[in-house]
Amino acid sequence: MLITAIRKYGLPLLLILGVVATSGQAEEGAPAEPKKAEEKKTEEKPTVSMELGKAIYEKRCLGCHGPSGAGDGPAAERFKPRPRDFTRGLFKYKTTAHGSVPNDDDLVRVVTRGLPGTGMPAWQSLLKENEIRSVVQYIKTFAPQFASETPKQITIGAEIKPSKESIEKGKDLFNKVGCIMCHGDEGRGNGPLAPTLKDNWGRPVQPRNLTKGWVFRGGNAPKDIYTRINTGLMGTPMPSFASTLDNEKSWNLANYVNSLSQYPGAPDWKVAVVAKPVTGEVADDPDDPRWAGLEQHSFPLVGQVTIDPRMFTPTVDMVTVKGMYNAKDFALLVIWDDPTKSVATPAAGETVPEIFDDAVAIQFPAKMKEGNEKPYFIMGDPAHPVYVARWTAGTNKVDEFNATGTEVKVGLRIKPQEESHWQFKGKGTYKSGQYRAVFKRALTTEDKETDLQIEPGKFYPIAFTAWDGSNGERDAQRSLSAWYSILLEVPASKDRFIYPTLFLLVVVGVEWWISRSYRNGNGNGKQK
Amino acid sequence: MAQIKKERVPPGIRVALAMLGFYLVLKYVVRPPLPFSVIFMYMCMALAGAIMYLTLFYNIKDAVITPLYTFLGGGVEGGMAKGGRYAVLVAMPLLVWFGSYEKFNKKMQPPLDSRVIHPAPPVEFTGLYNPYRVEDKELFKKYVADGKEIYYRNCIFCHGDLLNGEGIYAHGFNPKPANFQDPTVLPMLQESFLFWRISTGGIGLPQESTPWSSAMPRWEAMLSDEQRWKVILFLSEYTGFSPRTWE
Repeated sequence: MLITAIRKYGLPLLLILGVVATSGQAEEGAPAEPKKAEEKKTEEKPTVSMELGKAIYEKRCLGCHGPSGAGDGPAAERFKPRPRDFTRGLFKYKTTAHGSVPNDDDLVRVVTRGLPGTGMPAWQSLLKENEIRSVVQYIKTFAPQFASETPKQITIGAEIKPSKESIEKGKDLFNKVGCIMCHGDEGRGNGPLAPTLKDNWGRPVQPRNLTKGWVFRGGNAPKDIYTRINTGLMGTPMPSFASTLDNEKSWNLANYVNSLSQYPGAPDWKVAVVAKPVTGEVADDPDDPRWAGLEQHSFPLVGQVTIDPRMFTPTVDMVTVKGMYNAKDFALLVIWDDPTKSVATPAAGETVPEIFDDAVAIQFPAKMKEGNEKPYFIMGDPAHPVYVARWTAGTNKVDEFNATGTEVKVGLRIKPQEESHWQFKGKGTYKSGQYRAVFKRALTTEDKETDLQIEPGKFYPIAFTAWDGSNGERDAQRSLSAWYSILLEVPASKDRFIYPTLFLLVVVGVEWWISRSYRNGNGNGKQK
Repeated sequence: MAQIKKERVPPGIRVALAMLGFYLVLKYVVRPPLPFSVIFMYMCMALAGAIMYLTLFYNIKDAVITPLYTFLGGGVEGGMAKGGRYAVLVAMPLLVWFGSYEKFNKKMQPPLDSRVIHPAPPVEFTGLYNPYRVEDKELFKKYVADGKEIYYRNCIFCHGDLLNGEGIYAHGFNPKPANFQDPTVLPMLQESFLFWRISTGGIGLPQESTPWSSAMPRWEAMLSDEQRWKVILFLSEYTGFSPRTWE
């Protein structure tokens, strides 16, 4: 009976399902990237040897770590943090006790996985394990300690899973034990001791921003953080807390630090700021409670490394943006971390460099063009100016200018706008290592010819740029973003419910008609 | 006269199964993945072929239309078939509703800049040979070492230590820096092309390559001709790929 039914009526079922499946198909994604062809090689036994390690080091590692492992390769000058100087035997990320040399697996792990947020890549994509172990043996020859010392492994006790109670206890410890003095009350690296810190080479160092777990170089899982708390970071002011905190306290503190991260994993980078419509006035205060409910959009910022004068070691590495608008105005809230609040201060003698204003800016094309042509993203070019609104910490105000790019070896080509023509109003606050600045402006202006007009439902190019004045950032030397988009989102139309319902009724009607005509015997092949 | 062998499976079902198999091949076997519009076109052609086949060798009415009509009209027998019929009658309207809701509820996406990745270089950058690709092995080795130092001092921040386009600033730029480890990059390009791109950078690109987005510096303002040629030697020696030669 079942077979008979399938034989008799299986065809229409298959046809119908096939048609429905086909019509519901979404647009295909981009073609997969072709993979590098695997080279055929005779299988030889992998060996670990000093000769192999030396050859690999000279080909792969010397460019950053230098010919004698002193961290002075040609790339070193422009990296922050600088490549490791192996000669002192001070290694930061390991599972051995403070003061001890790392074990081989510690070094292999660093080479294999790399250190996120630094120039050290994950070498596993290019080197086999025996090659990595060989280069590790060679690296150990740079530090005399490896010859005379035995690694002392730390012990990690029973795990305490993250929980509300554990995190609360961890927070108390964070304050009590003194983490707050360097890492700051909310963990953004803005503690009172932060400006004074130096590493064993006498270079200024910045405490880790604990809200950015995705660039914890030793990993951001609670166990990884526990290990860091236990071992400290040799060569830096980060001490070991092995003798201060027992197992339970270490886990509680690690759970708290892990909970500070803004994102579960890597940031959810966006391609557009989507501003939401609001009733009533648009906010002009960074602390307006309505900002809290709006969606955040994060964008990476990187150094301006394209046109001299360049900036290879910028401080600000991302901005987070929220937007709202009404029929008359729109406002953007721009949020970024900066461990120091900087206001322009002249240099004081030889040892204290000049400090500039902290600032952030938003950038638009001065003229919207048909098609997709835009000004050069690094503040425009001679033929395509950009319109920039800049909030400055020193004045706590927004000024505006047009820019046509950067004069090589000189700086930005800026044409300030007269204050009477400024459209944006702004206000900023600084708290616990974080700035929040509002940029507010009318959607349309009286001068339709030269001013930017913003229309809901359309995308406009926008880019962001930031300066940390304590890091010597000013003018062309800054961090910046690529072009992104801003959209004032129009609420979704009811069409998305109306048309599907109409289509559904049509299909139901057709089904009903077929049933009725079959029952009435009007169709061919009547059964009975 | 030989007795015609009785068909074990109805022709309509055999054709439907063949079309389903063809669809699965197009969707899951063919690489790189085909866009929906191409699959749709092939399926239309296959459907036309199926209809011709059924018309030529069978009575299409008896093979397809009558069973379909009977099934939908309610002339089925047996609990299993009746259940199947009701499932189909309910599923079809719902699928149509959700499918069209998805279409009308499309989120707005920012406009995408399509770009030509490897445009034709201007005439002054065609036909050039790398003057540092010399026969003398010791001298060549020295030139490669010079190129390596140039790369590590200037290029590593975007193109990376692995030469894979994932330097520490790569994630902040759009388009991303070139991945020299990709076999479709260096082997496809001539050295004079590379010299052009290194020399004039992003702003030297033609309009179809969206010069306003490229973070590639105009290295002729910062590096000498000699330095730019030497770094090209380093790229090919380190990756093991030889640039394309003139045919």
